[in-house]
Amino acid sequence: MLASIKSLALLALAATAAQAAVVTYDWNITYVNANPDGLHERRVIGVNGQFPIPTINVTLGDTLVINVINQIDQPTSLHSHGLFQTGNAQFDGPSMVTQCPIPPGANFTYTIPIEQHGTYWIHGHNRGQYVDGLRGPLIIHNTNETYKYDEEYTFALADWYHTEHEIMLEQYLSIFNPSGAEPVPESGLINQRTDTKFNFVPGKTYRLRIINMSALAMFHFYIDGHDMEIIEVDGIDVERKPVTSFYVTAAQRYSVLVKARADASQNFLVHADMDPAMFDVVPPELQLKVQGTIVYSESAPLAPNGVTDEYEPFNDALLVPVVPEATQKPDQIFPLTAAFSVLNDYSNKATFNDITYVMPKVPTLYTALTTGNLSSNPEVYGKYAHPMVVKHNEWVEIIINNDDPGNHPFHLHGHVFQIVGRSTGKYDPASGPYPGYIDSPNPSRRDTVLVPSEENVAIRFKANNPGVWLFHCHIEWHLQAGLATTLIEAPEVMPSVLKIDPTHIEHCKALGIPYRGNAAGNEGLNLDGANIGPDPLPGTFTAKGIVALVFTIISALLGLATVIWYAREDDAHISAQVAQAKNTEEEH
Amino acid sequence: MTLSFSLPTFFIIFRETTEAAIIVSVLLSFLSQVLTEPKDQALRQRLSRQVWAGTVLGLVVSLIIGAGYIVVWNLYATNLWAASEGIWVGCFSFVAVLMITVMGLAMLRTNQMQAKWKTKLFKALDEDNHNQIANSNSKSAGRFAHQSRKYALFLLPLVTVLREGLEAVVFIGGVTFNEEWEAMPLAIVAGVALGWLVGFAIYRGGNKMRLHRFFVGSTCLLLLIAAGLVAKGIAAFESDRWNRLTDAQGDDDGSYDPRVNLWALTCCDPKKPDAGWWGVANALVGWSNIASYWTVGSYIMYWGLLSAWLFRLDAKRQTKGATVSGEQRPLLQGEGAAAAASGSGEGSSTSRSEDLDITVA
Repeated sequence: MLASIKSLALLALAATAAQAAVVTYDWNITYVNANPDGLHERRVIGVNGQFPIPTINVTLGDTLVINVINQIDQPTSLHSHGLFQTGNAQFDGPSMVTQCPIPPGANFTYTIPIEQHGTYWIHGHNRGQYVDGLRGPLIIHNTNETYKYDEEYTFALADWYHTEHEIMLEQYLSIFNPSGAEPVPESGLINQRTDTKFNFVPGKTYRLRIINMSALAMFHFYIDGHDMEIIEVDGIDVERKPVTSFYVTAAQRYSVLVKARADASQNFLVHADMDPAMFDVVPPELQLKVQGTIVYSESAPLAPNGVTDEYEPFNDALLVPVVPEATQKPDQIFPLTAAFSVLNDYSNKATFNDITYVMPKVPTLYTALTTGNLSSNPEVYGKYAHPMVVKHNEWVEIIINNDDPGNHPFHLHGHVFQIVGRSTGKYDPASGPYPGYIDSPNPSRRDTVLVPSEENVAIRFKANNPGVWLFHCHIEWHLQAGLATTLIEAPEVMPSVLKIDPTHIEHCKALGIPYRGNAAGNEGLNLDGANIGPDPLPGTFTAKGIVALVFTIISALLGLATVIWYAREDDAHISAQVAQAKNTEEEH
Repeated sequence: MTLSFSLPTFFIIFRETTEAAIIVSVLLSFLSQVLTEPKDQALRQRLSRQVWAGTVLGLVVSLIIGAGYIVVWNLYATNLWAASEGIWVGCFSFVAVLMITVMGLAMLRTNQMQAKWKTKLFKALDEDNHNQIANSNSKSAGRFAHQSRKYALFLLPLVTVLREGLEAVVFIGGVTFNEEWEAMPLAIVAGVALGWLVGFAIYRGGNKMRLHRFFVGSTCLLLLIAAGLVAKGIAAFESDRWNRLTDAQGDDDGSYDPRVNLWALTCCDPKKPDAGWWGVANALVGWSNIASYWTVGSYIMYWGLLSAWLFRLDAKRQTKGATVSGEQRPLLQGEGAAAAASGSGEGSSTSRSEDLDITVA
């Protein structure tokens, strides 16, 4: 079945048109004081004076409306992670990609048609605000779920820091962090708490929705005394896959079916273990093993703790989507090599193919819509937005090399993609075709994929969603360090599909951000004044180096000349001394 | 060092061996010049053996003490440095720089070594004559004088070589704090071999000019090494400070303070295992692929200070030389005085040198 996602969505919408509702949330983004891990009270970003922020629940076919009022002192924006936003790119959320951020005190209404179902989340997408708390589950129900279950619970996993993000970011990107060591969290949370409880009734089947909302941490998820079957990954229903444990990277989601036990004699622990490999150092006071409790009966004893360090190997490429989609030969292949190094601004930055992402002066989407025919020319977007331009309905393949000792989860906005290949080492396009293709009639699909250290992954999707979509590592530190590219999808079609709401332009004006033209805000291809990013260090002599070297050589030569001059005179004096001694002897 | 050859050790051993060889050659030549009569051959042989015995014993004892000292030093002292390695390396680098500079400049006076020994010999003979005259009246005093004179040619080299040898050992301990002991044996053997060669050349009366050039050349090399050590010492201090500032976990991650950096090359790193000639350059002139205002500045300052010091030494020497020629022996008159006065001049100096040149007849 090769129907595009868009038509599928329309079909679904039509089918549920009768029940389609407009679900509205009024969200004041505010600061709140909170102490989720019980160790340290701090200022967080909440909604309507609450933290954690409310969970969004909608159904396939609904229209989700979020009326945002920004009541913190920084600009903000919201991204509904995993939602396609078909023909709706202006509401995708990433600041300076699809919109200017919402100024402090201003309103912004996100209007999002819900064309898919599953487990998603919503989070801030201006700088690292989601790490400060602006993140929560976004659950999209289907009127006819693929699998049957009695009840469902959400496990929103997250790492938690005691310091505000902006402060940590300054240290992370400073010249005194040349190794790029990410700040280590102080604790791990389930649903923004350390003491969650979930009630199970014997005999019932539960759907557990697991979301990782972390800045950095990767969790291993497993339940004592219960079997799990994976039924959904990143909003894609998959054929049941029994697992004993699985890993969830930042931004990934899973649903599992768990059958409750037959009796209520014991309670059981749910485990979400943070993987220490993600952390530069593991301080002794950091509790890596986060736990929740499955409660059958308040008075029941706890079953023995099955915490472990041995996790079953898990390969998400083996999951089989329920709705099949065959892959096709790609029309364009983009090899991207992710790496970290100290660039010529002397801070440790992330690069894709030696280019670090820097936000343009004009939101990239607005550039695409205001540069006419030039919108298909990657130059208008600026080198440091790292644009990848594709045509409408092309099949696009991205091969991601992870040339870094760390593991990275990569996320594409506006799409799910097929995982069509995995391999080790670094793939060099000059060496021939990609060697790691998985031959499958129905490859696994998701929107956030882990590329382990020194390995590579090939992903593929159809460019059926005109818009500007950010592709980036979902470790928030790395996004700030520049590990991102921008997919410019079908710019030739965009103007007929997308119309920018005038209120969005007002916000740009309020912040003094240009909203027309190329990446520098100019007409045509004149990129004078564009935001320039740091570049790799030359690794060779610069002018001052050559001058210094010349001076050292000259000083050595002059010094040696002085020594030779000093020694030359010695001869005569030696003779004088010996003569004196001989004369003394000759006397007698 | 990437080479298993400690250049500083080589030079120290070479110098000490050369001096020992010079002592032996001077003494043996003196004996051959003075004891020419056939009836003196037995005496000449006995005294020659004394010279050899004294020298060799001195060398052996200093080697034994030296080996023990270095072993203890390396075993014990290296454990102290784990925590603040950068600072230790830096401090000892500067100690080494001082030692090498002093020794290098001393090497320039090698020609004076010969003169020194001749002077000592003449003085010894001088006293000998005095004692003979003075003690003809006192039997016990005469016997003492007789004994010390009898073994003078044994004691003199022994004591001197021993003193020089221990000096060398201390020098080596100072300059080799940061090297593996595997770099020593080859360097020591080479130093000894070359030292004997040079001593033999002197004995055979090699061209004085060429020898002089050789010593000047080796001093230049030594001072280049010292200058490089200055830069390396500063680099060690810098690296220690930067590692503290950046909370570095590892030791050599190639990161540096960008605010003071002058050059940072991706190639040519002497610390890499495949460094090859860059490692040699690091040992000889202190080359590094990363340089800062501090390392380059201190390197240039070393040469500046050294040159200034040499100018000063030369000025002092000039005034001293004038004093020497001015200060005539009251008993010397006429021709002797004139000859001595013109001792610093070109022409007569040459003729004097020929006079003093000890050659095998």
